[in-house]
Amino acid sequence: MTQRSDRMENLADARFDALLGAAVDAILVIDDKGVIETFNKAAEKLFGYPAADILGQNVSVLMPEPYRSEHDSYIARHLRTGENRIIGIGREVKGQNANGDVFPLDLSVGAIHHGTRKKFVGIIRDIRERKKTEGMLRQQQERLEHVTRLGTLGEMAAGIAHEINQPLTAIATYAQAARRLISSGQLEEERLLEILGKTGAQAERAGEIIRRIRNLARKQPAERERHDLVAVVQEALRLAEVDARLYGVRIEFREHEDLPPAWIDPVQIQQVVLNLIRNAIETVPASRQIVIQASNRGREEVVVEVSDDGPGIPEDLISEIFNPFFSTKELGTGMGLSISRSIVSAHGGRLEAKNNPTGGASFSIVLPTAVSN
Amino acid sequence: MTTQTGTVFVVDDDEAVRDSLSLLMEAESLSVECFSSPIEFLERCPDDRPGCLLLDVRMPQMSGLELRDELQKRGSMMPIVFITGHGDVPMAVDAMKHGAIDFIQKPFRDEELLERVHQALERNQVDRCSAAKIQDVSERIARLTPRETEVMAMVVAGNANKVIAQELGVSQRTVEIHRARVMEKMGARSIAHLVQLAGVLDK
Repeated sequence: MTQRSDRMENLADARFDALLGAAVDAILVIDDKGVIETFNKAAEKLFGYPAADILGQNVSVLMPEPYRSEHDSYIARHLRTGENRIIGIGREVKGQNANGDVFPLDLSVGAIHHGTRKKFVGIIRDIRERKKTEGMLRQQQERLEHVTRLGTLGEMAAGIAHEINQPLTAIATYAQAARRLISSGQLEEERLLEILGKTGAQAERAGEIIRRIRNLARKQPAERERHDLVAVVQEALRLAEVDARLYGVRIEFREHEDLPPAWIDPVQIQQVVLNLIRNAIETVPASRQIVIQASNRGREEVVVEVSDDGPGIPEDLISEIFNPFFSTKELGTGMGLSISRSIVSAHGGRLEAKNNPTGGASFSIVLPTAVSN
Repeated sequence: MTTQTGTVFVVDDDEAVRDSLSLLMEAESLSVECFSSPIEFLERCPDDRPGCLLLDVRMPQMSGLELRDELQKRGSMMPIVFITGHGDVPMAVDAMKHGAIDFIQKPFRDEELLERVHQALERNQVDRCSAAKIQDVSERIARLTPRETEVMAMVVAGNANKVIAQELGVSQRTVEIHRARVMEKMGARSIAHLVQLAGVLDK
């Protein structure tokens, strides 16, 4: 090697070291066996190891199980197949520091061809703060959703009271009739058993209404799983019928057989469906009929459409109805549609509004199927 | 309780409420028929049969109040006991103003409900009686000749035969003949009875 090229290399090294030292992200280089060759300042800080201790060790010490045991095989597979699972893609992974704490990080990897051997450079960004902010936002959103659900149930109090009053009336009347029949000696045992059975069934009916309300009122983190959308819509429908009866509106549910399962949080989707039905009932007093239709668009999307035969949405307001605090109701909070849309978006879906050619408005909840997820 | 004729017609969209009410009426030895909607009641029970209505205020499609209006339009005189849920007081007040015999809130005490039902049945019996009387008297009056009608009006007003004869420009003998025909056609046993019969129409 000439002196000149020596100097050039020294300069390149110095520049490289300066670059590594100044980087905010943790940067490390490993060889094709996973042995750490370079470990910058930010990496020392992030993982809590001085470079002197970590150089020459396998990079897997910076990961929690099961990645720790599997990492060598990841490299081996890449070298064997040339397939890129992370190189040039980058992804969110987990790291483990010297204290044993596991934390989320963003990792991007590049390959360096050094002679016949490959090396890899990893750039690692600490995303704990971002995760924390995201978590807080999600919590805020869930809190807002919960408060809105409680508000909805509050508005439905009169209807709910009416609905629970029905089975209570039947229970009281069955009991009074049985008492009269017994004291006048008209009641045979078999008949009495029948009446007791009916009384019990009415008590269960009242309990079922309370169960539905409690289910919707409880505070819980959103959790998406594979669910039958028709069953979820039906639960919301049972609650909405409370208001429908109060306002003299008929609801027809056109179910769809063979609907692919959806990837949803059932309580959140119930909240959206309930909100749409109640809007249809309340904001369009002329509406006498609401049709709910479940269908699928191929194997990718499932749709629940809520249509009414009211006056429809004024054309100049159609772009505003999803805005927070927009309401046409005297006592509306204006949060219903806004929250409904954010719930559906968080599911990777869409909430769409349109006026029907035959009159009335239609709202469609479009959700990805569990298959497409 | 006195023996009452008539059927209790229960109109409520809630099957369990209907069924339990039916049982309660049965326990009280009352005849009962149930309908799940006002429309079903109008279709299946077109005649004005003796009895009373036990009617839920709130029902889909046609409310209890709308059924009441329809029945009034059809000239029904069936008394109505409205049953209301929680918080339907304004509706109930409206029902009362328009001649509902009473309203009772769900869930009800049996004594209270049955008392109202018995009152309603009794009122229907009385009303039907007087309605029958009115119809009978009207039919009898329709059979009178114009002259006989004139004579009857003057007799009921308390005029003596002599006055009536002068007024109509006929002989007293003729007035007596008209009068005898009036008494016969009206089925009146005495002048007092005739006055009473004429009074039926004034109500």
